[in-house]
Amino acid sequence: MGETSSSSHSRQDPCVLGYGFHGAIANSTPANFFDQEGAAYFGELEETFMHQVASLTRTQQAATTSIAHHGDIKPFPTAATVTAATATARPPPTLDIFPAWPMRSLHTPKEGSNVTADSTDDSESSSKNNSNHSSDQHGAAADMQSQFDQVSQQQQLQHKNMATSSTPRTGKTPDRKQTIRRLAQNREAARKSRLRKKAYIQQLESSKLKLAQIEQDMQRARSQGIFLGGAPGANTTSSGAAMFDVEYARWLDDHGRRMAELHGALHAHLPDGDLRAIVDDTLTHHDELFQLKASAAKSDVFHLITGVWTTPAERCFLWMGGFRPSDLVKTLLPQLDPLTEQQLVGICNLQQSSQQAEEALSQGLDQLHQSLADTMAGGSLIDDTNMSFMGQMALALGKLSNLEGFVIQADNLRQQTLHQMHRILTVRQAARCFLAIGEYHNRLRALSSLWVSRPREILGADEGHCGEISIAAQASQSQFSSF
Amino acid sequence: MQYGAAAAEQAWYMPVVAPSSAVETAAERMERLASESAVVVFSVSTCCMCHAVKRLFCGMGVHPTVHELDLDPRGRELERALACLLGASGASAAGAPVVPIVFIGGRLVGAMDRVMAAHINGSLVPLLKEAGALWL
Repeated sequence: MGETSSSSHSRQDPCVLGYGFHGAIANSTPANFFDQEGAAYFGELEETFMHQVASLTRTQQAATTSIAHHGDIKPFPTAATVTAATATARPPPTLDIFPAWPMRSLHTPKEGSNVTADSTDDSESSSKNNSNHSSDQHGAAADMQSQFDQVSQQQQLQHKNMATSSTPRTGKTPDRKQTIRRLAQNREAARKSRLRKKAYIQQLESSKLKLAQIEQDMQRARSQGIFLGGAPGANTTSSGAAMFDVEYARWLDDHGRRMAELHGALHAHLPDGDLRAIVDDTLTHHDELFQLKASAAKSDVFHLITGVWTTPAERCFLWMGGFRPSDLVKTLLPQLDPLTEQQLVGICNLQQSSQQAEEALSQGLDQLHQSLADTMAGGSLIDDTNMSFMGQMALALGKLSNLEGFVIQADNLRQQTLHQMHRILTVRQAARCFLAIGEYHNRLRALSSLWVSRPREILGADEGHCGEISIAAQASQSQFSSF
Repeated sequence: MQYGAAAAEQAWYMPVVAPSSAVETAAERMERLASESAVVVFSVSTCCMCHAVKRLFCGMGVHPTVHELDLDPRGRELERALACLLGASGASAAGAPVVPIVFIGGRLVGAMDRVMAAHINGSLVPLLKEAGALWL
C-alpha cells in the first residue's frame, strides 16, 4: 500500500521529488532545506542527484507503464549515455559512486530500475514516516535528517549494482546505515573538491613563477639595450620613442643578418659586381637608420640625445645622439690596410674635416646650453616672480626646439662620413670597412651586457677565478656566434 | 669676421646719397650682398646653428661676412627672399629656420646640411680657395 501510494505520488511529482524533497516532507517548510548550512555542503551533489533522481523516476515510470519502452531518456548530460537497449544486453555496469565527478556513463538497466523502484518505494515510505514523525518536533535538524534519508536513497539506487563489499553491515537500522553512507559520500565529495582546489592553486602558482621568470628575462634583455616591442616598463616613454626603439631593434636584427651575409660574401671571394651590390645595400641600410633617427628627433629629441636607446657602453661614447664620426674614422684607419697614397690622404682629410664639423656643432650646442641656462635663470630664482615664469618657459621652449636641428645635423654628418668612406675605398675595402663598423658596435653592445651581468657577490677569495669563469661561460653564449 | 655691409650702410646712411637702396628689391639686395665678399653668411644673432656655422669657418681659417638679419631694418624682406631661394633650389621644411645660409664666391651653397656635406666630401675647401677666402 505504501508502495503504491508512494509510487503514485512519485508519478505525480517526479521532479518535485528530486528538488528539495518537497514531496516527501509534507509538513515542513521547503525553504528550510536551503536555509540550512547543509545546503551549501552538498550543493553540487544535489544537482547531480536531482538529475539522477529525475531520470531514475522517469525510468521508473517507464518501467511501470510499459516495459518495452526504453527510449524514455531525458536530455540530462549525465544521462546522455543512458541506453536501455544496451542495458538489457550488458552485464550490470558500475556506476560512479562519487557524484562530484562527471558521470561518463550512466547505465540504468531496466531490471535494475525495476528492482530499485521497489527499494525506492520502500525507503521513501519509511523516510516519509520518519519525516512525519520528526518534522513537528525537531524542525531543522529533523529536516536535515530526512534530507539525508532522501539523498541516501538515491545512493542506494546507484549502489544497487555495486559490489557488495561496499554495503555496510545489514544489522543496523536502514536509517543509520544510510546516514553513515551519506556522510561518507559527503566526506568523499569534500575531499575531491579540496583536491581540485589544491590542483588549481598549484597551477596558479606555477604560472605565477613563469610570469616572474619572463619578467626577469625581459629586465635582463632591456638592460642589454634591446627593447622588446610594446613594453616600455616603469618609465614613461613617449610613443615616438617607443616606436623608435622597436624599429631600432628591428634594424639591429636586420643589420646582424646583413653583416653575416657580407662576411660570407667577402670570404666567398665573389666577383666585385656582386660584392658592390651587397655593399651598396649595406650603405642604404645605414641611411635607413638615419631616416629613422631623423623622424625620431622630430618627435622626441631627448630620447635620442640622452642615448636611452643605446646600450650603456655605447652611451659612454655618445656624441649628439650617436657615434662620433672622427672617432670612427680614426678607429677604422688601421683596419683598412693596405691603402693607396691617395686613399690615405683622402681618409686623413675626412678625419680632419669631420673633426672640424664636430667641433663647430659642439660649439653651437654649447651656445644653446648657455642661452637656455640664461633663460632658465632669468629674473630672480629666489624671489617669487610668477609674472615672468610663463614668459621664460615660452622662451626656453623655443630655444629647446633648436635641439632637434643639432641632432639632425649630427646624423647628417655621420651619414656623409659613411658615404665619403664608401667613395674613397674600393669595393672590398668598403666591405671590410662596414664589417669593421658592425663588429665594433657589436663589441660595445657585448661589453654592456657583460658589464651588466658581471658577478658582484664575490667579495672574498677566488675573486679573480670566479670572474674569469663567469666571463668564459658567458663568452660561449650564442650572442658571440657572429664573431 | 666683418659684421656686414648692411650694418655699415645703416650707420652711414645719408638720405641724399642713397642711390639704389630705395628701389632695390630684397632679392636684388640679397644678390648684391652675396657677391660683395668671398664668403657671405646670412644669420640671426640668437641662432645657435648660425653660431655653429660661423665657428666652422673660423676653425678653417676663413673670415666670412656675416649679415645678421634680425639687426637689419630690412631683414624681414631679406629673409623672405632667402626662403624663396631655398624653396626654389632645394627642399625646405615648413617652419624650419631659413638661416644660416652661406654664399661662397657669389654662388649659393645652402643651409647647414649642405655646408657640412660639402666639407665632408671635400668640395668646400677647393670652393673657398677658388673664391679667394682660403689660401694655404
